[in-house]
Amino acid sequence: MSHPLSIEHDLHSAMAGGGLGDGAFNALALRVFKHQFDNNTAYQNHCKALGVAPENLTHWHEIPAVTTDAFKFVECPLVTFPIGQTQKTFLTSGTTSELKGCHHFPSLDLYDRSITASWQELALPRPENSIFLTPEPGHAPHSSLSHMMGVLSDTHSRKSIWAVDASGRLDMESITAAVTGNRPVALLGTALAYLHLFEQLTHPLTLPPGSWAMETGGYKGTMRQLEKGDLYRMFTNKLGLAPDSIINEYSMTELSSQFYTRGLAHPHTGPSWTRVRVINPFTETDALAGEPGHLVIYDLANLHSVMAIRTQDLASRSGADLADGRNAFTLLGRDPSALPRGCSRAADHQLRPS
Amino acid sequence: MTTDDRIQLLADACALPCVENLLGKVTACDLSAWIAAELGKVSALDAFRPHGPLHSKAIAPGNILHIVSGNTPHAAIQSIIRGLLLGSHNIIKLPSTGLSGLTGCIDRFPVDLQTLIETHDSLTDELLAKSDAIIAIGSDASIEAIHQRTLPHQIFIPHGHKVSMGIVYGDFENAARLAARDVSLYNQQGCLSLHAVYVHGDSLAFSGLLAGEMEKFTVENPQHGLSLSEAGAIRNLRETTRFRAANDPTTGLYESQQSLDWTVIHEPSPALTLSCLNRCVYVKPLPEKINPDTLGPESRHLSTIAIHPFGQDRAASLTHLPAHRICPLGQSQQPSLFWHHDGFAPLASLVKWKDLG
Repeated sequence: MSHPLSIEHDLHSAMAGGGLGDGAFNALALRVFKHQFDNNTAYQNHCKALGVAPENLTHWHEIPAVTTDAFKFVECPLVTFPIGQTQKTFLTSGTTSELKGCHHFPSLDLYDRSITASWQELALPRPENSIFLTPEPGHAPHSSLSHMMGVLSDTHSRKSIWAVDASGRLDMESITAAVTGNRPVALLGTALAYLHLFEQLTHPLTLPPGSWAMETGGYKGTMRQLEKGDLYRMFTNKLGLAPDSIINEYSMTELSSQFYTRGLAHPHTGPSWTRVRVINPFTETDALAGEPGHLVIYDLANLHSVMAIRTQDLASRSGADLADGRNAFTLLGRDPSALPRGCSRAADHQLRPS
Repeated sequence: MTTDDRIQLLADACALPCVENLLGKVTACDLSAWIAAELGKVSALDAFRPHGPLHSKAIAPGNILHIVSGNTPHAAIQSIIRGLLLGSHNIIKLPSTGLSGLTGCIDRFPVDLQTLIETHDSLTDELLAKSDAIIAIGSDASIEAIHQRTLPHQIFIPHGHKVSMGIVYGDFENAARLAARDVSLYNQQGCLSLHAVYVHGDSLAFSGLLAGEMEKFTVENPQHGLSLSEAGAIRNLRETTRFRAANDPTTGLYESQQSLDWTVIHEPSPALTLSCLNRCVYVKPLPEKINPDTLGPESRHLSTIAIHPFGQDRAASLTHLPAHRICPLGQSQQPSLFWHHDGFAPLASLVKWKDLG
């Protein structure tokens, strides 16, 4: 049996190694699965009910995935360690009446390493002079996004401005002051925060040359809906940023790694310790190239919970993604069926003004 | 056209299969009795009638705007029939997804009724302005947005987000058959579809019986036309439940094999849980005290509670719950012509009165 410290050590090495090939990924994935099967009781029960055990698996495709909703059940936490040893818990967003998903960690060493190593492996620009449109980590201790921003700030940034205060208000003065110099700035925040920024700007900002932005997240829990193309047009009109200067980050509380794309017409790509499948929900088999399905993510950095996560996000994969980039996909958006349903809510229509 | 003329024409329209399949058999006598029950006399809209020391006449709205949702033509047809019976001109704002079941049906109405109907794809300020009454069927957010565009003199009748549930007290075999029908009909797209069935007694045993009846219903009424999104939602619900069931013996998953046709989930929590629709239903033990607190926040959206065996006393014992209708199990999807939709008297709520004397 692999000792958890040995697997974690090997994962750190893999992240430092600049790329995990298919064979190495598969071997490590099977070790991670065995570790999780042996030590995560709730997941083991699930696997046994499916008739799956480490000794009868040969490929990471066969590793059972759990849904993101499985992280919501406090009575059966998805952890490979005694819950009392939890050092950090990230919670999903949602209304107070909704059950929140909990992702527990005995330490954040591997989590933080995944953030910084992904950034390096995917050759993303260093956010040296940053404006974060999220609460700083101390103000949002259960937000995995704020934590990630904190890691990026600590790792790369010489100067960081946290432009969302504890009550969620944008600090417009700090933002406008921060972009007046001639050093390129990096803006990092949620799509919703950018919308608020654009609405509050009385005139377009001119960012220094070489500036760029990272946006993440959708409009979950709000009445807002905006196509990505429309949002990026606003970036151009309000900040002078071309689409290729905008990076989109895709991740979730239930994962430990992130996927990135730049501009409008490129797939998301993750680090080499992740793999993805796009599953046709009718057949539960891989969707054909170009056909939409639901995204299933295999993230080895999720060592302390479950590595295989079934999302409710729709995606597709091109022939090129399937041939070359096993961790690349085109995100099609949040599945509308994942929203609360009921009479009329089920097929609600947008009111179209005349 | 007098009320009697409209009743005769509407009786012909109600005999069309596309209406009868939704509303059941509706005769001219039924329509007469309905209008008399709500307005006092069948002729209430045609002449001044004694009303205490006064003479009064019901005045129908000149124009009724029906804003209908895309999930089922059921509520839309009901709404339009109410408007036609009153003799109003009916403006229908169709959902962006269209509603071919409704428009195809209207095209077969008697010509004299068709002249009282017009359909539109978008909701313009002009349509809103010329409406004396507005009936809005949709999500709470849509209803709120429409309400903000109405004027004080306009009658506004909202039919927002609603769900229904069942309660079984005994006679499990018959109850399972009746519940399967109420769950499966229209694929839970309507307000009267059951999302959960509460069971007094062995709820796990009832789940198994219900699963069998869901399968039988599907054989006779195949499930078809699921979208990718809907299929994904069912699959996600099943896999989440599978995980829970592996960790909790009181959770049970019963599912159609090699298909997404139907799903029955037994779970111990008494909270009313919304289904992801398309023949997915929760079975739960009936709590000792059933009230809005034990049912949770979704209970405020209750439309109908379907119970078995039905009895007036038993039904009356549930009137402290927010539902406006308590009916026999197996009939949740076929409300009486006389029902008070979401608590509104559908004809009386639309008319105003003129008094002489």
